[in-house]
Amino acid sequence: MIEIKNLSGNLGEFRLHDINLEVNKGEYLAILGPTGAGKTVLIEYIAGIYKPDKGSILVDEEDITSLYPEERNIGYVPQDYALFPNLTVKRNIAYGLEARKMPSEQVDSIVSDMISRLKIEYIQNRMPLNLSGGEKQRVALGRALATEPRLLLLDEPLSALDENLRTEMARELRRVQRDVNGTFIHVCHNFEEASDVADRVAIMNDGTIVQTGILKEVMEAPKNEFVARFMKSQNIFYGLSDGSTIKIGKTTTLVKKDTFTGDVIVAIRPEDIAIVENEKDKGQNIFSGKVESTKHKPYFTEIAVDMELPLIVYSQTERKYNKGDKIRVRIPSEKIIMIKKS
Amino acid sequence: MSGNRHSRTSYNTFFYSFAGFLFLYSAYLFLSNLDQLFVTEAAIKTREITSWGEDREILNQFAGGFWKDPYFWKSLNLTLVITLMTTFIATILGIPTAYALSRYRIPGKSVVDVLFSSLMVMPGSVIGICLIVMFNYGPLWDLQNLLGFRFGHSIFPGMLIASLVLSFAFGMSAWKATFDSVNPRFEQVARSLGSTRWRAFRTVTFPLAKSGIVTGIILAWTRAMAEFSAVLFFCGTFRELPASRFSNFTKFLQMDQADWLSVAVWAQVEFGNIEYGFALAFVLVFIGGISVYVMHRIGAKGYVW
Repeated sequence: MIEIKNLSGNLGEFRLHDINLEVNKGEYLAILGPTGAGKTVLIEYIAGIYKPDKGSILVDEEDITSLYPEERNIGYVPQDYALFPNLTVKRNIAYGLEARKMPSEQVDSIVSDMISRLKIEYIQNRMPLNLSGGEKQRVALGRALATEPRLLLLDEPLSALDENLRTEMARELRRVQRDVNGTFIHVCHNFEEASDVADRVAIMNDGTIVQTGILKEVMEAPKNEFVARFMKSQNIFYGLSDGSTIKIGKTTTLVKKDTFTGDVIVAIRPEDIAIVENEKDKGQNIFSGKVESTKHKPYFTEIAVDMELPLIVYSQTERKYNKGDKIRVRIPSEKIIMIKKS
Repeated sequence: MSGNRHSRTSYNTFFYSFAGFLFLYSAYLFLSNLDQLFVTEAAIKTREITSWGEDREILNQFAGGFWKDPYFWKSLNLTLVITLMTTFIATILGIPTAYALSRYRIPGKSVVDVLFSSLMVMPGSVIGICLIVMFNYGPLWDLQNLLGFRFGHSIFPGMLIASLVLSFAFGMSAWKATFDSVNPRFEQVARSLGSTRWRAFRTVTFPLAKSGIVTGIILAWTRAMAEFSAVLFFCGTFRELPASRFSNFTKFLQMDQADWLSVAVWAQVEFGNIEYGFALAFVLVFIGGISVYVMHRIGAKGYVW
């Protein structure tokens, strides 16, 4: 188990403060956050490339905060993979084993096992400069896993790959992680990628971890406005709650029972909003407006609705919407996310 | 990629044509003076009893027969030995310094950087006078008193110091640029895989920086050999000094009563012996040409091999 306690550090442009994080053995954790949130710096601290100013990092209850990177047994795959250009694929994978002065027969057998596990036999004698993005990633993964690290750090491992390969490699990463029963920390900046690989996510912003949890949890109960926005809750409003209704703007009132009252942030995910087809339907939280614009996505149409609360809703039906069309929508009370305004 | 290759080829063509032209022209001038190249044993004997510059007629006879003159061989020997030592010291000190400047967050790093870079644009005479002032006052003067010998106007360590300053600065700039160009991630990953700092340097950074390191060594070597004003200012000439002023060690190395080659060129011209000066210059062109050729051969190989 990895425990990070009150980690703080200052690297000039990047500053981390009070990072607290736990990763269980065999868990795949994704650290999510916008560019400049300090994700890379955090994993560089974990890898031992930089020393934090404060706090501690524990692996299986052993404090590794002051150890050199070579003493930590933590695998690290940087964004550009950093394959050694002067060594063949095979020697790249053998590198960590040779550093441990392992007998050469043992090195050979581990390396060939890793090569067949990652299905890269056909490139084993090539130089890294001539490999494709996906091949490079496999080699980097093999090199890091060959030494059986206690933890593997992946810094945006899929960002250099094209869209199609990205999904495939995400699946591959997940397969390898299960295969070796490894503990992985994967840094990325989009939540689709995180949802493809991770058991749990940690959301980072401004040098600190804002929220951790399984993806669904974080999506349904974001801790603050930043998390709500980052998790693509596209409808976010400020309102005033009296315990049973929320007043937004001058005329809109949403029915939502909750224990807390006062200033609140309301977040509604577009996929949670239902389009009311039947004109006669009446009930709570039904609003009507006009279609302002539409965007066609692979499995749905994104509709911007012009009403007092400008809403984004998704339609998954065949029906075509044009600008100016009348539209009625229902916001299910239980899907309204309320965040207390701080 | 193809654009780079193209410009590299045209650059090489230009470089070798220019170097070839200079070399052939020098050779032509040298050979066209062959009629003056013969020197008699008697003339050599005469030189020993003639004070320098007194009898130009006799001295002029040395023009091409310089290889029969022990002064030439001793000067060449002196220059090569000191240049070799300078290059060695510059390399031993310069590579770790360049590595540290490239890799670590050191306070005052930019000041050191500017200092070495500005050394490179200083005329040798400025370096020379700075050395004279540095070693004649203050703590370095006291140090010499303590040691019981003077650094200035000496072969060891005077000439070494004078040639080292720019040699070190030039070598360092090449080494630092090389280390800057090797992504530090390689070392970070190597260490995360269990390599010590030294093994990571030896197995990853060094092979990637090898051609740049060699280029820096050759640059330090050529720069040391080409030093003129700093050596002249700080050390002067030794030819006319009595043999008794040289240590047995210097005599053993056959470096006594000899001059730094580029200083010797100047001295010969100064005393009207242009042919001898030119012949010595030709030797410097020859050694410099070979050094630069080697540097380009290594540089052309690219950084991965």
